[in-house]
Amino acid sequence: MDSSVPSQASRFRPRPNQAILAKIFHWVNLISLCLMITSGLQIYNANPVFGGRAGWQFPPIFLLGGWLAGGRHWHFAAMWLFSLNLLWYAFYIVITRRWKHRFLGSNDLKAFQKSKNKKRVTYAWHRLTYTIIIPILLLAILSGLGMYKSAQLHWIVDFFGSWQALRIVHFTSVPIVVIFAMIHSLLGLKVGGQRLLESMFW
Amino acid sequence: MGLVLGGCASSLFEDLVGKTVEPLNQSVEALLLNPQKPVPEFPASAIEPDALIVNTFDFTPKIDINTFHITIDGEVKNPISLSMEQIQQMPLTSMTIRHVCVEGWAAIVQWGGVRLRELVTLAQPKENVKYIYFQSADGYYESWDIASALHPQTLMAYQKNSQPLSIDNGAPLRLASPIKLGYKQSKWVTRITLVSHLFPRRGYWEDQGYEWFAGL
Repeated sequence: MDSSVPSQASRFRPRPNQAILAKIFHWVNLISLCLMITSGLQIYNANPVFGGRAGWQFPPIFLLGGWLAGGRHWHFAAMWLFSLNLLWYAFYIVITRRWKHRFLGSNDLKAFQKSKNKKRVTYAWHRLTYTIIIPILLLAILSGLGMYKSAQLHWIVDFFGSWQALRIVHFTSVPIVVIFAMIHSLLGLKVGGQRLLESMFW
Repeated sequence: MGLVLGGCASSLFEDLVGKTVEPLNQSVEALLLNPQKPVPEFPASAIEPDALIVNTFDFTPKIDINTFHITIDGEVKNPISLSMEQIQQMPLTSMTIRHVCVEGWAAIVQWGGVRLRELVTLAQPKENVKYIYFQSADGYYESWDIASALHPQTLMAYQKNSQPLSIDNGAPLRLASPIKLGYKQSKWVTRITLVSHLFPRRGYWEDQGYEWFAGL
């Protein structure tokens, strides 16, 4: 079992400790996602995916950039932060083999099927959730690249079938990430309490 | 956090962020551009006749096609002026491509016209030419990098979806290309100027803050 999972003796154990690089990744990912989502919604409002010009628009409180060109400036600046952060993190989890120990594994699948330990099952759900978000973030990058460079990277648009399908997939990453953030926080809290949550940030 | 930032400072820094990152993005865009390789086209059945939205920054100019001339000048050895009749005698290139607007919508359109590179060749540009300006009858102006202008699918179009180009869509002559966003594709073009450097005025929307390269 992972050291960050509290056992019955958790009260007497030191505060869970996270690797500094994991914390940096988590912070940069969180901030860059906020920038990508708010600037993305600014771009969305120029021509809503659902309904076109007559479609419902997001209120200004959720927007970044002030106008279409400003939203695009932020979006195409934050995309570097967001994607390069994921890239170095990929190297990091491969080199340190964290991908084997810190993400969903066969032990979690076994826990889903057999474990009577409720905490172990919750922990498996926690790992499942933050593992699944990784391919979703990569899909957001792929669909975004297809829209950004639809001529030079036309094979991406072809892969998604149509322009509208591409726009829907790219946009859907917004509600998924927002829902993920809520579930991820709740599960983290359930697995390790306030101490685990704080250990991921500070 | 970003939500707070977004709400409180929605347009703050966008100019700074744009100016800081645009050179990087532009070099990546120029690197991605394959100036000789055509973008794959669509079959005629894929054309979306109602999807192309008419966008205009000001008014729709009425141009007499019989007296219309397009001028090609600047840093060239042979500045020329061509009538529509002369343009239409040149080889017709047809392409069915995706027209992508900066707003996010796209339309599959067939364009027919003369390759811009053939017009440029006629004017015999000097070797130091790096950019190309387009002046339109409604006052709209644009500038492009020369590599994108010489792309085999960059056309001065006078046909849309196998019909003569309508006035709303830019008749008698407009830019059409699969490799640039819609706001780069000037309508009602009257003058094409080849130059070695960019002027402070780079394009109607660009001068207000939109990205200049706008490659797809």
